[in-house]
Amino acid sequence: MPRFTKHIILIFTILILSGCAEEWLDRKPQNIILEEQIWNDSKLITGLLANYYDRLPAHTTLNTGWAEFAAYDEAMWSNNDDGRNNIVSYPFDRWRLWDYGLIRDINLAIENIETFGTSLSATQKGQFSAELRFLRAFVYFELVKRMGGVPLVTKQLIYDFNGNPAYLQQARNKEEEVYDFIATELDAIKNQLGNGGSNTRANKFTAMALKSRAMLYAASIAKYNSKMATPISTPGAEVGIPAARANDYYTKSLAASEEIINSGSYQLYKTNPNLGENFYDAITKKSANPEIILAQDFLVSKDKRHSFTYDNIARNVREDNLSSSSITPSLNLVEDYEYLDGTPGELKNRTANNTDYIYYTNPQDIFANKDARLYGTIIYPGTSFRGIPVQIQAGVKLWNATSGTFQNVESNVLGSNYEDGGLLTGSSGPQRSQTEVTNSGFYLRKYVDQTAMSSTRGIRSDMWWVRFRLGEIYLNASEAALELGKTADALKYVNIVRERAGFGAGSLKALTIERLQNERRVELAFEDHRVWDLKRWRIAHEVWNGNASNPDAVIYALYPYRVVRPGHATHGKYVFDKLVAPRFRAPRFFQMGNYYSSIEQIVIDNNPKIVRNPFH
Amino acid sequence: MPQELIASTLHDNHTKIELVRSVDKTLTGKIVDEKNNALPGVSVVVKGTTTGTTANTDGNFSLTVNDAAQILTFSFIGYTSQDVTIGNQTTFSVTLLPSNEELTEVVVVGYGTQSAATVTGAVSNVQAKDLIRTPSIGTSDALVGRVQGITARKADARPGASTTIQIRNLGTPLYVIDGVPSDAGNFNNLGQNDIESISILKDASAAIYGLRAANGVVLVTTKRGKAGDGPARINISGYYGLQNFTRYPKPANAYQHMRGLVESDVNQGRTPTIAPAELAKWKAGTEKGYQSFDYYKMVMRPNVPQYSLNANVSGGTEKVNYFLSVGHLNQDALIEDFKFKRTNVQANIESNITKRLKVGAQISARIEDRFQTGVPGLDDYFNPFLSIFTMWPTERPYANDNPKYINQTHNVNVNPATYKKEITGTISEINRVVKGNFYAEYDFAFGLKAKGTYSYQFLNFDFDGFEYTYDAYTYDAANDAYNVVAGGGNQNPWRERRKRNIVDRFAQFQLNYSKQLGDHEISAVAAYEQSDNVNTYLVVHTVPPNNYIPLMSFANQDLLIDEWSTEARAGYVGRVNYNYKQKYLIEGVGRYDGSFLYAPGKRFGFFPGVSAGWRISEEDFFKGKLDNIFSNLKIRASYGRTGSDRLNNANNDFLVAPFSYLPGYNFLQGSAIFNGTYNIGVRPRGLPITTLSWITNISTNVGIDFGLLDGKLSGQFDVFARKREGLPAARYDVLLPSEVGYSLPNENLNSDVNRGMEGVLTYKSSIGQIDYTFSANATLSRRKDLDFYKPRFGNSYNEYRDSFVNRVGNINWGYQVVGQFQSMQEIESHTVNNDEQGNRTQLPGDFIYKDVNGDGIINNLDERPIGYAEGANPYLSFAFNGSVAYKGFSLFFDFAGASLQSFQRNFEMKIPYQNNGTSPDYILEDRWHREDPYDPNSNWISGTYPAIRKDNSSHVNFRKSDFWITNVKYIRLRNIELGYNFDQKIFKKIGSNGLRIYVNASNLFSIDNVKKYGIDPEISSGNALVYPQQRLFNAGFNITF
Repeated sequence: MPRFTKHIILIFTILILSGCAEEWLDRKPQNIILEEQIWNDSKLITGLLANYYDRLPAHTTLNTGWAEFAAYDEAMWSNNDDGRNNIVSYPFDRWRLWDYGLIRDINLAIENIETFGTSLSATQKGQFSAELRFLRAFVYFELVKRMGGVPLVTKQLIYDFNGNPAYLQQARNKEEEVYDFIATELDAIKNQLGNGGSNTRANKFTAMALKSRAMLYAASIAKYNSKMATPISTPGAEVGIPAARANDYYTKSLAASEEIINSGSYQLYKTNPNLGENFYDAITKKSANPEIILAQDFLVSKDKRHSFTYDNIARNVREDNLSSSSITPSLNLVEDYEYLDGTPGELKNRTANNTDYIYYTNPQDIFANKDARLYGTIIYPGTSFRGIPVQIQAGVKLWNATSGTFQNVESNVLGSNYEDGGLLTGSSGPQRSQTEVTNSGFYLRKYVDQTAMSSTRGIRSDMWWVRFRLGEIYLNASEAALELGKTADALKYVNIVRERAGFGAGSLKALTIERLQNERRVELAFEDHRVWDLKRWRIAHEVWNGNASNPDAVIYALYPYRVVRPGHATHGKYVFDKLVAPRFRAPRFFQMGNYYSSIEQIVIDNNPKIVRNPFH
Repeated sequence: MPQELIASTLHDNHTKIELVRSVDKTLTGKIVDEKNNALPGVSVVVKGTTTGTTANTDGNFSLTVNDAAQILTFSFIGYTSQDVTIGNQTTFSVTLLPSNEELTEVVVVGYGTQSAATVTGAVSNVQAKDLIRTPSIGTSDALVGRVQGITARKADARPGASTTIQIRNLGTPLYVIDGVPSDAGNFNNLGQNDIESISILKDASAAIYGLRAANGVVLVTTKRGKAGDGPARINISGYYGLQNFTRYPKPANAYQHMRGLVESDVNQGRTPTIAPAELAKWKAGTEKGYQSFDYYKMVMRPNVPQYSLNANVSGGTEKVNYFLSVGHLNQDALIEDFKFKRTNVQANIESNITKRLKVGAQISARIEDRFQTGVPGLDDYFNPFLSIFTMWPTERPYANDNPKYINQTHNVNVNPATYKKEITGTISEINRVVKGNFYAEYDFAFGLKAKGTYSYQFLNFDFDGFEYTYDAYTYDAANDAYNVVAGGGNQNPWRERRKRNIVDRFAQFQLNYSKQLGDHEISAVAAYEQSDNVNTYLVVHTVPPNNYIPLMSFANQDLLIDEWSTEARAGYVGRVNYNYKQKYLIEGVGRYDGSFLYAPGKRFGFFPGVSAGWRISEEDFFKGKLDNIFSNLKIRASYGRTGSDRLNNANNDFLVAPFSYLPGYNFLQGSAIFNGTYNIGVRPRGLPITTLSWITNISTNVGIDFGLLDGKLSGQFDVFARKREGLPAARYDVLLPSEVGYSLPNENLNSDVNRGMEGVLTYKSSIGQIDYTFSANATLSRRKDLDFYKPRFGNSYNEYRDSFVNRVGNINWGYQVVGQFQSMQEIESHTVNNDEQGNRTQLPGDFIYKDVNGDGIINNLDERPIGYAEGANPYLSFAFNGSVAYKGFSLFFDFAGASLQSFQRNFEMKIPYQNNGTSPDYILEDRWHREDPYDPNSNWISGTYPAIRKDNSSHVNFRKSDFWITNVKYIRLRNIELGYNFDQKIFKKIGSNGLRIYVNASNLFSIDNVKKYGIDPEISSGNALVYPQQRLFNAGFNITF
């Protein structure tokens, strides 16, 4: 072969190879769906909805944020790390939310389903659109309750890359405008929603439940903000709602609540004759539960699950070894559960003149005749979980005949016996300085899964998270009615809820807002209401005033002891010490600047029309 | 003696025919060195044949050759080979001159080789003999301290782990093995005995690798047989050693532990739950139930074996040359049942099919086998370390010390009694890799060669985990009964299999041209290459119904993960070298390179590099004047641009997620259960990113190579900079309102630079029969941010704190401790609010922070730079190596050290009783405490650590301060080895050409400033719960036939 030919072949080969280079780099990804594919396939649109439901913001749910249950006055933190027991003051960016990513995705879907959804029926399109708008209203409610008025963006804001996006700037809407938007939207879509009977996708009554809650928030802000010495407001009304609007909002809330109540589509759960267990079931039972309006569901078999039970199960019931006992309810909450005779729930551990203990035969006797919701919510001494007794005893009280006083004997070893052969410190504590065991003397029952193995890391739990249930709607209705002066209705609704807790029919004859506030506290504990309720009633800064001498701002514990006083009538009985939870370090301190969370500087930089919230 | 020859070539008909045809003659001779000393062991070969012999101990040889033989080649390691024409001579007297290795050495560079004399880039080279000197697990371990420019850190030294190396601290380099781009995993798991040499391209010389060359390139060449190597040469080598930890903090004993708890209660205003009488029993430690248990001893075994064995055979004839090797490495962990082993096979073969056409293949395969007990949790190595500080010294691993019953301790998950494969199960991770490079090369005889290469690598990773359930017990002394604890032990059954398959394909077409025209020497390379990679990953998990059956069933399955990813690249490569009289040297490289990462039409970029050298010592004015001082003097300079499509972060992530240029919707994004049914989520993608391109790196280097004192002292010194332009950032003067719900894609806006210098000095000489070499090298390289896109600061403090403009990178901010409170009075009179709570949380011994801004309160405004980067490779690395040889004896040692790096103690190393466990003994011993722990009013006694407060991790003492940050400095004796080469005479009888035996020790000692914390200076984990380097005592051999 002549040398020249060889050269030609070489050069030719190179050229062939190089032609392929661009093509060689062009790879097809395996997980991307195209515009035309998605909008004509109702399964894929449902997939889009699944993603949006999954991303709905929430302060506390069972898969994220639940640790914040321990940041207020319902509970304290008994696992490792002491951050939540040492919150010197709530920072101004707490509860901050400015999630327009989800709003954008919803707006995009609302628009694209019209543009690209060529083979969907008008009904299908209408139903999907309505559900998308429900989700958007839900997000705006989450935004307004944290930030006050936010810009109402209802169309995709598309930047044209011309270098000056100023035309996309939108100012904050007034706080009331956002609430009005939520109400209008929900009314507009409620009849197109479909999903009848579903408690995991939005239907007509889900829309009304959201409206019931949102309007109640708007109404109470209108009323109570104005009653503050210095109402919190901005000149443009981005925060603060005029007092004049209170009645309107209460009326709307009541109407929405009554639409649900009167529909007969939902009933309070009353299946289990044991009222305490019934209340636990009312929130946690996922089948044949007529009370639940909307829940975020999980499914272990499909790897949709969470570790809430693993992290929060009582110490001596746990099945895994690396965690437990994180959220431990406070004595404060326990004492807010009334006695069934209607008397205040303060536990009687000392005689009336405070000269001696009251001696109980069994540890649970001190809780006798209490609101059944206490049992349904909290594991207290002398009760069981999954049929296993949860052993809660701090130590023994040893009588010192010389000094005539009791002396505490406690152990670092859980489940240890005293030298008399009886129990010293319970296998579930409480323990003053250890972690992963209760520090407050109580454990959480609500939302902790009874299913075997659900507290192991390998299996975990699919307990659902309730977003709306009828119990709340009754209390919403009662509050709105009370504020509107319809006392009879208010009493009717609250008593229905109390009756289920064992109080008997018509247990309340008179009603005040304070009484209702306590009712919400005990009914809705650990359901993400407490901090929002205190905020809308504008009492958060009084309840959590940062003062160590204010019992509401401090977390208390209850430590049970077995009396060791051989030969004496009290020997072997149980007494109880109330004390500031030993691991609790800083009183809760909610400042005026916490009523509305601060807006991140970058948001203001990006859009100078955004007005700051007060105090920031 | 023709008979002999016939005997040795009995099976070679071809040779026989020649023998019949030709006449044989016997050649004899003597070989001496430059001092006229006999040189034994010199190889004498008839050029182009396998006929050859070796000189005896007196340097004499005798060889029978056939009459046609023309040239004899004399070669010996360390000496310049010599060809002698036979002609009519039958006796030869040959003088071999020592090779000036630094100049005659052939250096592998990108797409070719060069002689060291004409290299113009900053290229370092490590030869096989230096690599196998340290008993290493990963290839990178062997490079530590060997050459200037390499920085290293072995933060986790578990069996099978290797050192993280970088070139000049630039980031993860590109690894190229036998011309095929690869990665750190493949590099580190090469058979150590299969490597011929490693070259490190540190400057513009890397530009020939284009988009992947930004952080430098490590080139590996595996061994091959050489034409003329003669008959098969068999080499067997191996070692066996025993490992022990260098350092690990010791946990507190039971008395320290209990006393600390008492102090903690009193310090926090509580009544201690431990009575004085009880504490006294712990102090005595004699009574049953009050004895301290040492969990360190239980977890860590002493004297754990590590061994390696390798056998290889190589040979070469005119037609075929080959290298076949098999090696096995075994390293057990100091924790029982944790093991690593690796088997490597390498087969390199090359054949001259015709005079012009050569074909060859390099086939390598390996199995990496990592085995652990299946401890619940993420990393099985973590728990045993956690145990040491989480188990209380007051509790026993077995109930009533009866090894049949695991004690339900306060946290049984970390009870070391469970770390047995029979109890807790097993995890096995196996990598199986096979790779073949196939090539054909045609030589056009006029200086041009064409070569085509295809490479295919298949990697299979199998993870097989089965973790059992087991019970734990408590002992009931009254009834002498062992009671199962309900829900105790581990009730978390776990079975998981993972499979990863990676296919790497590579194709290359290359032209090489080289020509010498008088004083002009020119060579050029042009190539096109393309490569891709497809990575699939599958995970299946079940909840096994029992501990016996490892087979998984669908009924028990609760997890399936299926992942896919790909990469594709293509590039055109060119290089031209020119030199005049080997005096003026110039090189140009370039690559037009493309990556799949970018949108169509934006995928290709051009990356050129140029370098030049001037060998002053070759100049006439130099000769005879300065060459009695300088034996060699060369100055070099280079400039080049490379690209980078990865970020220099821990995961080496791409600049932008693959396929970001595409719009649409992502599948498998979140999920929701609707009416009891699972729905897979679909999520809109963000704005397509089409504006972001690669980072451009501009690399400059100026260097000098010199030899002094007759070449005895040689050195190399380089100053370098690598500027990166186009680091991704958002163009934030385009203020897109946050309410649009998406953000502007990053663009190529910011820049930074790594600057530094490196050098090496080697002194090589001899005194009488003692030959010795000493060499020292050091590298200093630090990153500095340069420009940031239109930086904005609200105020001057923000600028001070947050600006990156023109500042060294990785500034470590924290508080400065100026003292410790000596008394309560001092706290009360302290005018600065030290804890932001009016000093109500302070006790004597607590840290007094410097109120830098003088505002009377300590908060983040008082933070100042107190350290360097944490976890990164140190900015300054240095090493000192030496070897001394006397007759058959040889002694090697290697010191390596580093400075300018920070270690932050955290968690277990900082917070007493972290996670309800215990603490290192020094934290509970050397602390501020009261004379009488039970009496709050007794006198304070000072210590290093603050007064103990359990479970108070948010205390102001634990803020990041210069008390907890250590700027680590160390120098360690990485390796010392004493070897002996036996006299060949002895072994000749058994057919051996030589035997070397040696003993060595790794990490014998370290001089550093973290000894007081009980940690190894190279770890980066703040809680020290990590596998530190081992001290290894080793004995080995190397025998050749």
